[in-house]
Amino acid sequence: MAARFQGERTIEHVLQSDAPLIVYVDIKSPYAFVAIRPTLALEKELGLKFDWRPLTLDIPSYLGSAEKKKGKVVASKGRSQRTWNAIRYSYRDARRYAERQGLILKGTEKIWDSTLPNIGILWVMQTAREKLGAYFEAVYPPFWRRELDIEDIAVVEACLKQAGVDAAGFAAFASAEGRALHDLLQPQFHSNGIYGVPTYVLDDDILFGREHIPYIRWALGGRVGEAPDIAYEIA
Amino acid sequence: MLTIYLDFKSPAAYLAMKPTLALVGRLGLEAHWKPFRTVERDVPKLGKEETVGESHRRVRAASQRAIAVKYAKLQGIDLKFPETLGGSDLALGMLSAIEGDPLPFIRAAFKGYWKKHEDLDDLQIVQGLIHETGTQVSVDPSKGRILLDAAQEQAEEAGIVGAPAYVIGDQIFVGREHLPWIEEIALSL
Repeated sequence: MAARFQGERTIEHVLQSDAPLIVYVDIKSPYAFVAIRPTLALEKELGLKFDWRPLTLDIPSYLGSAEKKKGKVVASKGRSQRTWNAIRYSYRDARRYAERQGLILKGTEKIWDSTLPNIGILWVMQTAREKLGAYFEAVYPPFWRRELDIEDIAVVEACLKQAGVDAAGFAAFASAEGRALHDLLQPQFHSNGIYGVPTYVLDDDILFGREHIPYIRWALGGRVGEAPDIAYEIA
Repeated sequence: MLTIYLDFKSPAAYLAMKPTLALVGRLGLEAHWKPFRTVERDVPKLGKEETVGESHRRVRAASQRAIAVKYAKLQGIDLKFPETLGGSDLALGMLSAIEGDPLPFIRAAFKGYWKKHEDLDDLQIVQGLIHETGTQVSVDPSKGRILLDAAQEQAEEAGIVGAPAYVIGDQIFVGREHLPWIEEIALSL
């Protein structure tokens, strides 16, 4: 695979980085939404720079699809009752943790194509790394309040500007270099053991879910004392 | 009171025992153990032609196993998945019929499944567990599946979707990763 420039780093492989931790996220994932602030806080606490990258989920391929209008399901394909129950629980669970962070999480009305704001992550990583947290704040909370059409490039550009990131050139990036880098990553995930977000790549460990944050803190902090179990940390 | 739903064949439920019992002991909680039949699957074989969905399910299953083994090791458990996944229905059903402390039976059932790879859907094996642990049950073990079906229906109606699941106050949590919040609620009650 050809190396692609990512800020001060190059992306040569989905599992490789010269950063201490790779973090894969997707704007349309409620799990990633509630993991963003704790992961940014961990990065700050440890004084490290993580390598944040997009993973655009193909949700209908493994969870079936559904479309809602005014909170009611108007179309559903490939979802059993058990799958529906699990999905509903997952949303309720993510929502209550979002609320603990002072955030609102409304179930989406359709499965969005999050490619553009995810390419936005690559853009921010390349052009204004220090603004990444601000970009996440500009995109994630309003999207989960159902206030953003993330398939509209003008909306993504507005989010970049709101985060203090220069959006000039983003449209060209999103259709050329950025799109190519995004598309280069996507087919590599399954073959390298990655299937969802947030995923943390820590040396040889591929860890799905923010419940691994205590372990990551322990590992990146020098592995002092006993390794912690999984946990959703609460403030 | 903390209600805990478990399935002996669930690695997540197995690995939740130690931290859950630690929490229960630390806070002096009254624990109520209930059965919940989970769906456990082998890691699918890599197919010559896979859909994206099939590939996703295979990678997810393999990853979940690797994570379970990793955290088991941290608990000092050498977690080995049986070559052929066994059942647990009969033993789970009997959990509903235990009179007195269910913990010796629960521990023995987990050990039977994960250390000896026993079939907990086998009447003789379940009778053996009951006998070895000196557990008193109110129903003949041969009726275990009927008990489980009834308990499963009640659990699903209550909104349980997996194991380990915890019910405390008006909240349902699936997974031991929620223990910090569960502890917070327990302390507030």
